Amino acid sequence: MMRSIPRAQTIKKNAHRNLRFGWWSLLVFLSLGGALETLHGFKIGWYVDVGNETRRLMFTLAHAHGTLLALINIAAGLTVRKVDRFELRQSVSFALIWAAILLPAGFFLGGIVIYDGDPGLGVWLVPVGAILLFYSVARIALDLSKIK
Amino acid sequence: MTQVAAPSSLPANMDQLELAFNGIEYKVERRHDAFFVHKRREGASYSDGQQIVLVTGSHTLQVPWLETGQGRTLEQFPFAYIVAEKMWAPVSQTFLMPPDLKEYYSIGAWNGACMDCHVTQGQSRFVQGNTWDSQVAEFGIACEACHSEGAEHIALNRNPIRRFKIHLTTKSDPTMTNPSRLKGPGSGLACGQCHSVWAFNNMTDKIDFNRHGASFRPGQHDLAQRFVVQPSTVDHSDQKDFIRRTEPDFFGNRFWGDGMIRVTGREFNGVQASPCFRGGEFSCISCHEMHLDTPDHADVKTWARTGQLKPKMDSNAACLQCHKDMNARLVAHTHHPADSSGSSCYNCHMPRTTFGLLHAMRSHQVSSPSVKESITYGRPNACNLCHLDQTLAWTAQKLHDWYSQPIPELSPDDQTIAAGIQWIVKGDAGQRVLLAWGLGWEPAQKIAGRDWLYPYLIYSLTDPYAAVRFDAWKSLQTLPGFQNFSFNYTGTDRLLSDAAARAYEKWMHEVRDPNAVYRPETLLDSNGRWQQDIFQRLRTERDDKRIFLAE
Repeated sequence: MMRSIPRAQTIKKNAHRNLRFGWWSLLVFLSLGGALETLHGFKIGWYVDVGNETRRLMFTLAHAHGTLLALINIAAGLTVRKVDRFELRQSVSFALIWAAILLPAGFFLGGIVIYDGDPGLGVWLVPVGAILLFYSVARIALDLSKIK
Repeated sequence: MTQVAAPSSLPANMDQLELAFNGIEYKVERRHDAFFVHKRREGASYSDGQQIVLVTGSHTLQVPWLETGQGRTLEQFPFAYIVAEKMWAPVSQTFLMPPDLKEYYSIGAWNGACMDCHVTQGQSRFVQGNTWDSQVAEFGIACEACHSEGAEHIALNRNPIRRFKIHLTTKSDPTMTNPSRLKGPGSGLACGQCHSVWAFNNMTDKIDFNRHGASFRPGQHDLAQRFVVQPSTVDHSDQKDFIRRTEPDFFGNRFWGDGMIRVTGREFNGVQASPCFRGGEFSCISCHEMHLDTPDHADVKTWARTGQLKPKMDSNAACLQCHKDMNARLVAHTHHPADSSGSSCYNCHMPRTTFGLLHAMRSHQVSSPSVKESITYGRPNACNLCHLDQTLAWTAQKLHDWYSQPIPELSPDDQTIAAGIQWIVKGDAGQRVLLAWGLGWEPAQKIAGRDWLYPYLIYSLTDPYAAVRFDAWKSLQTLPGFQNFSFNYTGTDRLLSDAAARAYEKWMHEVRDPNAVYRPETLLDSNGRWQQDIFQRLRTERDDKRIFLAE
């Protein structure tokens, strides 16, 4: 016999998942920022040489998107707690998390192997993450609009 | 290459630069980021300024160009900046040219000649008289100079899927020429379109080139409106006969008597005439790279200073790419210790017998040394460019013993006087300048000794040709005691003589090793003094024919 989970508990669990993920993700991508500064500081050719401009751009984008999406996950979790009757759907919760993984991961992997002015194959993860992000943000906006 | 003149592209400290040459004084004035040249005859007042608009050259020699007010016709600033020395010198004294030639390139020369190669897809566009309406696709040597037209390549590669298809295969993009993936002429002419002695097929092609620029595109196997001039081949005989009739010095100013190129900047002539080229694989890209993209590449400055070579291509690895078996029998082939300069492929097969930009450079025609090339065509052979203190007879005997070369008939001087001394004292200016540089070459100094070099380099400080004096000075600075020796190689005859006398006194009384032993072939007695009768005879026998190396 299946045990049904109360709806409020599910919503709280979704919010907690995004909050937890967001803070850990923020830690990871702030650390990446520190690592990139270190590469700058020691003038590591693999990162700062003129011919590696694409890698530098990709890693910078990975850092920026990872950090921003971590904050969006935290914002989503806090929104649930702050706004009465707002429900963070499970699909939206996971879409936000996957967007926060795929977007920066795509940029980061795209920067490891580069082809002159083009990033590596990993960059193709970026549009997938972007679609998930677009879906989740749109869904949250719509759901918030329905609350009277 | 030619760039737009700006503080970043011009030599530093040009503001208020004051120079004089041939009875005219020049003063440079900076206004914001622009520079203007004022001129005056001695005693007169300065003219209105002419703006410096372009500058040709970047890391060796820089020549600024001035506006003339006549369309896009440019006038040469008559001084060139020698980057390594941080000094200005009259342009005519940065070439090997007869000392009475004060101005060679003047008004319109950039439009009519220099821009053919020092920009990307230049169009001279002659108007009338000495007026030009020249245009360029880009200043400098830009992408399309070597990779052909890029419009289709750019349009098609806006599609990221197409780009990734190319990235993930080993196929090259058919919309773009990549000389490094081509072989032989297809690759070499991308460089050879400029780095060769070329001429027009006919007047129609010349006019077309003048109006519309080169129709040759990298990857093609001939130069379209033009052809590479090789004096010893049977092609284009009508055109070459026409050149001989209309410009009798054309070949002598550029080639040795056997057709080997003797000026720098025209290396493709040598490459094309090399036996290696006939194999169809060999090209400039075999040893050089243009983009520093090979693993373990040198830093940019080293790469630029060492002929833009690929990693390890400054060693025998260059030739061993093809001559793989030679590594195992190197000593048997060279008769020199494996780690010595005598076992360097380059030193024997690509000796420094071409000249330009004030220094001797390696011949790019791969050849084997012989005494015949020296006595018949006057070209210093590789053996005696290292064994400077040995005679031609010594070399002939070695080449006979080791490689069964016949011993040619030799003069008494060839049997008793070091070849290096004959070339630097009684040779023509083309030979003297190679030796003036060659006496400063470290591998030769190690083999032939340094003690006897001083008087010959000091003597060459008064050579009538400025380029010889410059190289003698630089070589003298490689010798102990003379590292900081100052000398104005563009000075008057009196100043040159005084400087040489000062240097000789310094050597004789301060620097000379009293225990030094001088071989008889060097014409120096045990006190380091010349055997005057022979030395003076060699001086009077100096070949004073006019030499102009059209680099």
